[in-house]
Amino acid sequence: MTQLDWWSGGLWPYAALILFGFLPSEFWRALSVFVGRRVDEGSPLLEWVRAVSTALLAGVVANILLTPSGALATVPLAARLAAMAIGLAAYFALRKSVIMAVIAGEAAIIGFAWWFGP
Amino acid sequence: MTAAEEGDAKEEVGSTWRWFWRGFLHAARLPMFVMALTFLGIGSLAREAGVSLGVALASTFLVWAGPAQVIFFGALAQGLALPAIALSVSLSSVRLLPMCVSLLPLLRRPGQGAAMSLYTAHHIAVTGWVESIRRLPGMPQNARLPWFLGLVHGLYFAASIATVAGYVLSGTVPREIAAGLLFVTPIYFIAALVRNSREPIDWLALALGFALTPLLKPLIGAGFDLLAVGLIGGTAAWVAQRWLNKRKAENGR
Repeated sequence: MTQLDWWSGGLWPYAALILFGFLPSEFWRALSVFVGRRVDEGSPLLEWVRAVSTALLAGVVANILLTPSGALATVPLAARLAAMAIGLAAYFALRKSVIMAVIAGEAAIIGFAWWFGP
Repeated sequence: MTAAEEGDAKEEVGSTWRWFWRGFLHAARLPMFVMALTFLGIGSLAREAGVSLGVALASTFLVWAGPAQVIFFGALAQGLALPAIALSVSLSSVRLLPMCVSLLPLLRRPGQGAAMSLYTAHHIAVTGWVESIRRLPGMPQNARLPWFLGLVHGLYFAASIATVAGYVLSGTVPREIAAGLLFVTPIYFIAALVRNSREPIDWLALALGFALTPLLKPLIGAGFDLLAVGLIGGTAAWVAQRWLNKRKAENGR
């Protein structure tokens, strides 16, 4: 509890947010401005960076599905993957609509959470 | 002057705000709702971590990266040491580097200084990136930045309201709905990445990123696994596309 006590005083929480949350994250955005100066639109380098970003983002999603936190962890892995497949099936079946993918996937995961509930 | 030309002239006058508004309206179609559902969870987590509502809201505006905020408040709730929290937050935000490097050249205006680029870069996060990386190249040069800023301000609007709502409602949400809230990010990102995919490089990067994660996770731990997934998957997809292009050019001769 000592950390929470330390947290609760005056402007300290804001200073801690800036030092340990904002700056460590913003560092990469700032670096990108200097790294990316010579990257031009349509260059092969830009294509590569975009592919790395895409793979990273797919990795973020895989991470959430494989090792979820909180309430999502109460749904079995097979059901989480099934809900993802249902969402993507809705995307292709319903005129490539991202909205329909989200609605179908959500309906599936909430249904599974209810079915596998305690 | 024809009617069409007159229309063009009018469009030129108010065009900056018009593009800003168009970006905002684009956000209102789906991304704002996705943001709102995600940030309900972040507001709720911030309360569980024991910080004030002001700090929760400030984190949304300052950090502006969902996963980093989840790690920050989650680690705080667990009582981790602050330098360790800073390291985890930083590792989760490495992905902002390739995202900013690939998006900034599209938003850059001739003769733009570093300060303006830093300001633009601060607004780049995953949702803004996934919505604009494929749309910006088709827009006129002077429309891109206002459209993008309209888009992200729509996202800020939704995220800040949701942070407050999540903070207030914390702990009252049924388990099924809470699971649904945590599922919004994965299903939306995957569907948006599929929508953005046009060439083999896109499909390969998407599939490799997904498939490499469970393979590399046990080998490379402590947050570096995601970085490896991005570099290996992205590079392999890029090399494959170049090889395909070369073969196509040779066959065409």
